[in-house]
Amino acid sequence: MVRWWRSLPARGARLPAEALRKTPLPGMDPRWSRLVTAESSDGPHTFHVLDTGPLLEDRGLRPTGTILALHGNPTWSYMWRAVLEASVQHAGPLSAWRVIAPDQLDMGFSDRLAHTEPPAPAATSYRRLSQRLADLDGLAAALDLDLDKPVVTLGHDWGGAISLAWAVRNSETVDAVVSLNTAVDHPTAEAVPPALRAAMAPGVLPSATVLTDAFLRVTLSLADGGLPSEVAGAYRAPYVSRWSRGGIGGFVADIPATTQHVSRNVLEEHSAGLREWKKPALLMWGPKDPVFRDRYLHDLLARLPKADLHRFEGAGHLLAEDRDIAKVLFTWLGDTFREGETVTSVSPPAAEEVTALHHQLDQMAASWRRDAPAAVQLTDEHTAQVSWAELKSQVDSLATGFYEQGMRSGDRVSLLVQPGNQLTAILYACLRLGAVAVVADAGLGLKGMTRAVRSAWPDWVIGERPGLLVASALGWPGRRISVDALTPRTARIVSAEASVERLLRRGSSTTLEAVPVPDPEAHAAILFTSGSTGPAKGVVYTHRRLGALVALLRHTFAVNPGASLIAGFAPFALLGPAIGATSVTPDMTVTKPATLTASAVASAAAAGEATMFFGSPAALANVVATSEGLSADQTAALHRIRLVLSAGAPVHPDLLDRVQQLFPEADLHTPYGMTEGLLQTDITRQQIHTAMETEQLGVCVGRAVEGVEFAVAPLDELGEPSESLSEPDADPGVLSEIVVSAAHLKAGYDRLWLTDRKSRRDRHRGLLWHRTGDIGHFDTAGRLWIQGRLQHVMTTPAGPIGPGAVETRVDTLPEILRSAAVGVGPRGTQAVVVIIEPCPGHRLSVGSSPLALPELSRRVREASVDVPVAAVLVVDNLPTDIRHNSKIDRTALAEWSDRVLSGDRVCAP
Amino acid sequence: MTPQRRHEILPPSRVLVTGASGLLGRSVAARLAALGYRVTTFQRSPSALPEVRDVRGSLSDARAVEEAVEGQDAIVHMAAKVSVSGRREDFEQVNILGTEQLFNAAWAAGVDNVLHVSSPSVAHAGKSLVGAPAGAADPEHAVGHYARTKAEAELIAEARGSVGINVLILRPHLVWGPGDGQLTRRIIDRAKSGRLPLLGSGAPLVDTLYIDNAVDAFVSGLRGLPRIAGLPMADRRLVVTNGEPRPIGELMMGIAEAGGARRPSLRLPPAVAKAVGSVVEKVWEVTGPHEDEPPMTRFLAEQLSTAHWFDQRHTRAVLDWTPRVSIDQGLEELARHIRRTGRVL
Repeated sequence: MVRWWRSLPARGARLPAEALRKTPLPGMDPRWSRLVTAESSDGPHTFHVLDTGPLLEDRGLRPTGTILALHGNPTWSYMWRAVLEASVQHAGPLSAWRVIAPDQLDMGFSDRLAHTEPPAPAATSYRRLSQRLADLDGLAAALDLDLDKPVVTLGHDWGGAISLAWAVRNSETVDAVVSLNTAVDHPTAEAVPPALRAAMAPGVLPSATVLTDAFLRVTLSLADGGLPSEVAGAYRAPYVSRWSRGGIGGFVADIPATTQHVSRNVLEEHSAGLREWKKPALLMWGPKDPVFRDRYLHDLLARLPKADLHRFEGAGHLLAEDRDIAKVLFTWLGDTFREGETVTSVSPPAAEEVTALHHQLDQMAASWRRDAPAAVQLTDEHTAQVSWAELKSQVDSLATGFYEQGMRSGDRVSLLVQPGNQLTAILYACLRLGAVAVVADAGLGLKGMTRAVRSAWPDWVIGERPGLLVASALGWPGRRISVDALTPRTARIVSAEASVERLLRRGSSTTLEAVPVPDPEAHAAILFTSGSTGPAKGVVYTHRRLGALVALLRHTFAVNPGASLIAGFAPFALLGPAIGATSVTPDMTVTKPATLTASAVASAAAAGEATMFFGSPAALANVVATSEGLSADQTAALHRIRLVLSAGAPVHPDLLDRVQQLFPEADLHTPYGMTEGLLQTDITRQQIHTAMETEQLGVCVGRAVEGVEFAVAPLDELGEPSESLSEPDADPGVLSEIVVSAAHLKAGYDRLWLTDRKSRRDRHRGLLWHRTGDIGHFDTAGRLWIQGRLQHVMTTPAGPIGPGAVETRVDTLPEILRSAAVGVGPRGTQAVVVIIEPCPGHRLSVGSSPLALPELSRRVREASVDVPVAAVLVVDNLPTDIRHNSKIDRTALAEWSDRVLSGDRVCAP
Repeated sequence: MTPQRRHEILPPSRVLVTGASGLLGRSVAARLAALGYRVTTFQRSPSALPEVRDVRGSLSDARAVEEAVEGQDAIVHMAAKVSVSGRREDFEQVNILGTEQLFNAAWAAGVDNVLHVSSPSVAHAGKSLVGAPAGAADPEHAVGHYARTKAEAELIAEARGSVGINVLILRPHLVWGPGDGQLTRRIIDRAKSGRLPLLGSGAPLVDTLYIDNAVDAFVSGLRGLPRIAGLPMADRRLVVTNGEPRPIGELMMGIAEAGGARRPSLRLPPAVAKAVGSVVEKVWEVTGPHEDEPPMTRFLAEQLSTAHWFDQRHTRAVLDWTPRVSIDQGLEELARHIRRTGRVL
């Protein structure tokens, strides 16, 4: 017995307004509050309940459905106030959700039970899971739920587990389940989160939870950015003294952390039942939760594989405080329970049906070209070469080897392998097996990569030693396979259970036929965006959609089996086997395309008999810069190149002209695309020059490639894109969000339900669209001109303007290396500010002020023509993204400009 | 006359301009006269304008005011005490009581239309203004005698504007150009004598109004007054600027160079925050229309070390006006004027 323990007396439920003597609680309408007496397993109890039913009735609205919202520990129904508020706000004759949020017994303002002994798993006066389920049964009966209309459960923390269990028990009446951070599974005591384990220690539990408010205070401190003091006060209001905190301790004591725990069987029975749940489910998750970490989300997804999920990057345990969950909830409910309307949108047909990405590899290995090189990798010491037959054999061995190891179709595999022949073999083995390749490249930085890997939650990590060490150090999830054979000690350190090297050497007893070929609609890969506009998003591709991309590349650039391409931007090498083209990786630091030299390209061209060169703008710039002093043989090799393709960012026409001199026989193409749809338009060097004569705003990226459909959503004066789409030629020249439809677009965003829904909300022409977030216009010749990103639009009194409209013109001034245009001031009346990064050796600002010299300002204004420029500022370096070192952080620059131009102290952006 | 025209004040209507001795008052009176309006001016000294009737007097002189107001179709009320020094009573006498007296006289004489000229400082106290709307006059928070009394005057104008008299309130911000003996000349004079060190970053964005645009806006406002008077009062107080916010340092350098002075150097002293106010104060001294000497207050100086620019969308829509002369054109015009005449005035 804890020394300071005193019995806790029973006490009746009270309305908060009475208990708190009418002190208002921020965000809570006292009219929601009522007391309800319900029959439970041990007789009647009185509950404090927030209920919007009476308010809806007053407005003459019949509820079209009910949401039963259950709080966790140590919160109370106050946590759902935003959901209640939104339900009342959005209620109308067609959709009116009644939200019922009870305070659980011994919690909030509901009845307090008497406790003679301190909370402990064996103390019987405290509420058990089974009793809490019975409480809900009683409440549901007492509250007169309309069971003819949809009933949805909503829960958080232990309220999530209880509400899910209750839904499983009442699967006849409950039509959908929604949960925030929670856990339904506790395999072992060790798996209880450390943050909670401390509070559960027998000697600590009563004092941490009941005698003091430590547990309460720690929980409230988990809010992202901290809670406003009045809100924290409202959470504390029902728990101000130890006499009111018995339930908090009881809840912690009811965590079934041991196999003997009285609630263990009840939890297990219901969480097993969750696997049978076939109705709609929505999970909303705050990944920064120290208690319910991503592994619990992973467990829930395993039980509810069809659940929709929105994972709010950056939010934590108190997700309902951190983010607008009501918006996601009601949008989802609207979609889920909308009657009659079942529109299925389709993508335009692919250039050719390609559903298995390893297919071309099989063909090549069976053809007369079987001994020709499939992949060539040059390093400063030697040239590594693998033939089609060898590559196929490697891929097959790995596919069967991985399969034996336990990897299955649908498993997610994080690849921490440098681009090259090994990665190619591993990737195609995954594709053959149906494992989903998670590709988050080093360009995201360690922090960004960790975030990306956690959000994708891979089942496997395949990596080289350094990658595996990082994965171990940072606690990344997933079983580990090392690329190289490791010593037992190292293998232990990085928890590697197998190695690619051994799997290749050993061969396997499994036949390839035993490994099923994945479904074309199954997920094939998750590629992460660069994260230059917010946290990186995982973009999901199916086998069919990647196949459509391969077909499109073949058709657009005539890259056919037998062709040979130099991958100056490493990921291009991965496409080779799917196309049937030899991929040649030149000698370069793969993560730094800007290190590629002209002689490395020439050597690669000679070694691989290449006719194509794929690069990024940074790579092209360095190739041009290092083109002096090539030997006659090297020059001849470059003259054999027929196609140069640059992707990732626009290329300056001047640079293209110099590239052309180096590759005189080649057609130069600079296609436009994005992680969500890698190839949308194409334009050649000559076409760029022709387009530029028309002096339009932005960068011309050419016309749609075959099979790509465009639509536009014109921007209004506040820079908001229209909800309805129009044809690109309907209003040429009008600044719009660019919307695209194609067979090779993303299948969706990973675990970002709302983001995904927003990106594909259009129903125009019955097609499945993707809102690109890029802004620009189409001209009368059908060419697309890009002016930047939607979130960077400047809303001047003269209308919205994209940053590219100004930057492309300003960048032509000789002393300027690059520029950024941002808007300052209120939307609709913003002033345009141009920030300059000068060429080295140029002093363009006044003294030590960021203010540009008047001559420069004048010339920038002249260059910007009809776009009014309020101020021109000069900085040493424009902030850019890590991956490309080319995407300017305009959001940061806008904030900086705003401070500087308001008269704040000047510092670097 | 088209029906719409009937709701405009057109020549040869009779218009009284009070305070026609300053640049803006004189220019407006001259333009109105040139357009064919029958113009009376009212101030202590002669206006020296041709084709204009002068009534000389002070706003505190009831008889003189009545005489000036008699028989007018409209009034442009620009007269105010703008000086930095002076007793509170003197400001109140001219700006508050004078305005009240003028409105009383207008009411008595049946003059229906008053264009009341005010200042953005009546609504904003000392904080940075970024794309700001024209807020309500706030005498309680306005800083200094000038801003406070002008705020009171605006409230009087608003009150009269809601009963019987058509009132439009215009708040021009930092008028400059050829003939401006205050701001423009002072910057040039000081730059020439090397006494124009610009401290701070010089970056805060500031709205200004080129004199010709100001006159256009006033004439447009006067002509449309009966139409505009149908709007709610909150939509009838308008800050008027070129709608081209510029960094203050760039503007001052531009004006100095237009005057043939060497470009002042920009310096960042160690104690930027403190120093900015006191030095800008010495060079940037004028806010709006003025009758005599400009206010030279620390308040104004501090204001000018922070952003001061305004949302012009509503102003332009209500006045049916857009600035004709851009800031760059205005600077060229100023330079031409100074080369031709050898002086600012």
